Amino acid sequence: MPRLLSSALALRRDPRILKIPPYLSLLCILVGAVWLFLLPLNEYSRRTYISENALLPGQVHTYFGGSDQNVLRAYKQEVNTLVGKSNVEINDKLESIVRGLGLKTARQKFMYHAAGRTFEGENLYAILQAPRGDATEAIVLVAAWENVKHEVNKNGVPLVLTLARYFKRWSLWSKDIIILLSPDSIAGPQAWVDAYHDAHDSSRVASLPIKSGALQGAIAIDYVQENRFKSVHIVYDGVNGQLPNLDLINSVVNIAGGQMGMGVALQEMWNHNDKYPDRLRTMLRGMLKQGLGLASGPHSSFIPYHVDAVTLQPFGEGWQDEMAMGRVVEGTFRSLNNLLEHLHQSFFFYLLMHRERFVSIGTYLPSAMLVAANFTIMAIFLWMKSGQPEIPAASTTESSDKDDAPTRTTERDLFLPLAIVALSGSLSAIPLYIFNHVPESALTPLFYLFLLINTLFPITLSLTITTLFSPTLQQYHLVKSFSLLLLGMFLSSLATLNFSLAMLIGLLSAPLSFVKPSSSPVSRIVGFVLLNLTSPPAVLLASAAIWGLNVGDILREVAVAWHVTGTYSAVVVWCVWWPAWLAGCVCVLGRPGRDQEEEKKVKKT
Amino acid sequence: MDGGKVTVGRTAALYAGAAVLRLAIFILLPDLPDLLTGRVEISTPVTSFKRLQEGLFLYNHNVSPYDGGVYHQAPLFLPLFSLLPNALSYPIFTYLLYIAIDLLSASALWKIADSGEAGSSALFTSPRRERRWNGFIIAAIFLFNPFTVATCLGRSTSVFTTCAILHAIAKAVSGAPFSAMVALSFASYLSMYPLLLLPPLVLLCLDRQRPERANKSVVSFAASHVPVVFGVLGLLFGMSYLITGSWEFLPSTYGVQLTLSDLTPNVGLWWYFFIEMFDSFRSFFLAVFWLHLSCYVGGLSIRIRRQPLVVLTLLLGIFAIFKPYPSISDTSLFLAMVPLYRHVFPLMRYSFVIAAVIMYASFLGPAFYYLWIYAGSGNANFFYAITLVWGLGQSLLVCDLMFAVLRDEWELERPEMAGKEIRQI
Repeated sequence: MPRLLSSALALRRDPRILKIPPYLSLLCILVGAVWLFLLPLNEYSRRTYISENALLPGQVHTYFGGSDQNVLRAYKQEVNTLVGKSNVEINDKLESIVRGLGLKTARQKFMYHAAGRTFEGENLYAILQAPRGDATEAIVLVAAWENVKHEVNKNGVPLVLTLARYFKRWSLWSKDIIILLSPDSIAGPQAWVDAYHDAHDSSRVASLPIKSGALQGAIAIDYVQENRFKSVHIVYDGVNGQLPNLDLINSVVNIAGGQMGMGVALQEMWNHNDKYPDRLRTMLRGMLKQGLGLASGPHSSFIPYHVDAVTLQPFGEGWQDEMAMGRVVEGTFRSLNNLLEHLHQSFFFYLLMHRERFVSIGTYLPSAMLVAANFTIMAIFLWMKSGQPEIPAASTTESSDKDDAPTRTTERDLFLPLAIVALSGSLSAIPLYIFNHVPESALTPLFYLFLLINTLFPITLSLTITTLFSPTLQQYHLVKSFSLLLLGMFLSSLATLNFSLAMLIGLLSAPLSFVKPSSSPVSRIVGFVLLNLTSPPAVLLASAAIWGLNVGDILREVAVAWHVTGTYSAVVVWCVWWPAWLAGCVCVLGRPGRDQEEEKKVKKT
Repeated sequence: MDGGKVTVGRTAALYAGAAVLRLAIFILLPDLPDLLTGRVEISTPVTSFKRLQEGLFLYNHNVSPYDGGVYHQAPLFLPLFSLLPNALSYPIFTYLLYIAIDLLSASALWKIADSGEAGSSALFTSPRRERRWNGFIIAAIFLFNPFTVATCLGRSTSVFTTCAILHAIAKAVSGAPFSAMVALSFASYLSMYPLLLLPPLVLLCLDRQRPERANKSVVSFAASHVPVVFGVLGLLFGMSYLITGSWEFLPSTYGVQLTLSDLTPNVGLWWYFFIEMFDSFRSFFLAVFWLHLSCYVGGLSIRIRRQPLVVLTLLLGIFAIFKPYPSISDTSLFLAMVPLYRHVFPLMRYSFVIAAVIMYASFLGPAFYYLWIYAGSGNANFFYAITLVWGLGQSLLVCDLMFAVLRDEWELERPEMAGKEIRQI
């Protein structure tokens, strides 16, 4: 063992060792990226399965139908007369209906300010007290008046009312059922869930007058389509990339797909043939949504409170009617009603690629960790490199006692590098604050102004640094080392919270590992142009162009998400990615040791 | 970086800067202090500000503060905080008190740094001592350390212990053994574990005595100074008895630390171990853990007899890892002492690894705690794994500093080996 150690120590001194890390780090990125593309293969993904035995999905006969259809039609008639009316008028009418069913009702006002706009409204909710329960647990049935695309939920609201009337007749509920009718799909449910858990800001969101027990699950219905539908689309992305327990999705898949025979789609993949390209597309769409961390439906706000929730959207032309949709909800509620404890058996971290195929965290996390590790490897490598003497000629004089000489390290000057990294980190508060606090109309012009400043600023900064301090090559290495160390650290922490965001940022900032200061102006310019192509605002612009979106709209959505649902993706972009990018630009534009070189030239002549 | 004349203006600017930074955070982000107060990394059962508020409420209503089983801190905090206006309605006074305590700690640290004890003690003078940072830089590192700032914002009462320990050391190096003993008694009264610092502190006092009344014998010096500690402690206990009206505070404060009856998670290594333990083994392992914590005192004091300040620094590091209820406040105290050894930094081998491990742990810790407590998708093992990494980072620093200091001593003994790689035979 000691011999092995000493040979390992001898190897440490080998100059070839220091050549390896850049390749190793490139390999990490490549393996991380390829890993992702292997996941949809049968060998790496798994079939889903129900892990909580108490759920027993699809094991009960569902009775929703028959005369309930007439009730539904009547409610639909009532709801249709309300279209276009104000929130309060709608709530007045709906409240009288719900109260007529014999449920306790209550209302809650809320108001959010974001991007120069005010989002306000009033939630209406009702509690169906469980005949066999003690009000310690509850499940929620949500129907927002408008879905995320601002279409009126013309079938969803009547269906929820009919289901409430139908559920009231059964005596088998052991958990309270809460009917939530919110005016919109994001702010309303968010205000309600916040207030339910007493986590609301009472100056903007009113407290709830009546409450039930701990929420065990929530199903939202987004049923806009007028005609008969083909199958059900499950929307499951929560705020900040959190996901509901996989058992909930599996139960819905089992009930809708198995028992009702209507099929299930995920991530807007309307026709899924379960082959590699479709699986990959489903997975990547899921990752993109998870990475953005925006709310995707009324269910999204529930998930941060550890309440498993999904939104069900009927889609396509088929022969299923509203009653079939009602039976899916009934079946799911019967399953949730069976739960003895909170859903915990199955996975919370997964990537779905088909309704019956998934990969769990143990399989996919290494890819993000490898990408994050590449930054750490480069940081360590640059730290070691910065400790080596700059002039290799000096070592020849000591070659006589080479065997005993330890790896000589020169003293590192840490102050300037630390100051540069700290400066770029603290500057990041500026874009974060601006983009979250200016009104909507100013967002687009401000973005283009920022894009311009963002291109010019690194040049100015680098010029200031070189003229004032004329940093050495060692200091540039240290700047890069510290900024990459921070980046690697943030990304590996983030990978445990939001895998997709960490992976996305990691891949986009991968070029930062390989930039270095150069003495030739051409390579400096080329490097700077390349870095500018992968800068955060440039990537935003490019992705807006690819998906045909307006940059202003994206920024507005992000600002609204920041203020309403607390989405932190903007913090990651501006405070993790952008400072690292800025430090990378300073490195690539740097002119190390210019003064020393000139001195040398003077001496030679 | 070293050198540069420290003027009164620079001193004032440093203190004012540190105070303004803290006040600005207190005022501009009013929610942050309460958030930090609730963090397990900052507030332990024996230092939490929230629990202090609970104790204070009971005390002001003439109920024994220890009745609720929540308050585990020294009784003398209660009259002190009762003097301040209510922390909820006028928080500014509490903020000012905590800022003042931080500045007092920094001034003590400054004195320690300027004494040069780290580089040349009575029995050993390091050949590298010229490369040191002055008190200004060391105080600045302490005051602007994010851990120190977070502790101050979280209003953990451990800042009082930190202040008392630093003053004890500052008094010791400036040749005032009596004051040093009094300060250490205060520290021990507040947190108990600083009592273990007594042997190296006595040695430090012995080494730094004023020449006019030098007492050369360790035994007679200890015999004349150790009773001071116990005398002052007795006095403090007596006052506590008068305040609370019973001896109940002894089991509720020191008893909790000795028996670890509150198993709230923290950044230390004890809580998880004792959650998992069968009750029949509990007392045995409590003894083992305490024995382990205290066994370093003797060994280090003897081995590094020539540099008692090193022993104190290393012990503070060891306590920050292995004491029953550690928090980042203990780490900030250890990290405040480490820069005194600027001259041996070139001998340290893992400085980058240590910095990286500590930084990784301090970011992954809150992330995993969030996964465990809030998201519900992780469990206690996640957080405990990170506290192990955190402990690993700190113990690497302790070991590496010890290695550097010993190597520094060794190179003076054997000049022919200077700069050569050591090899285990």
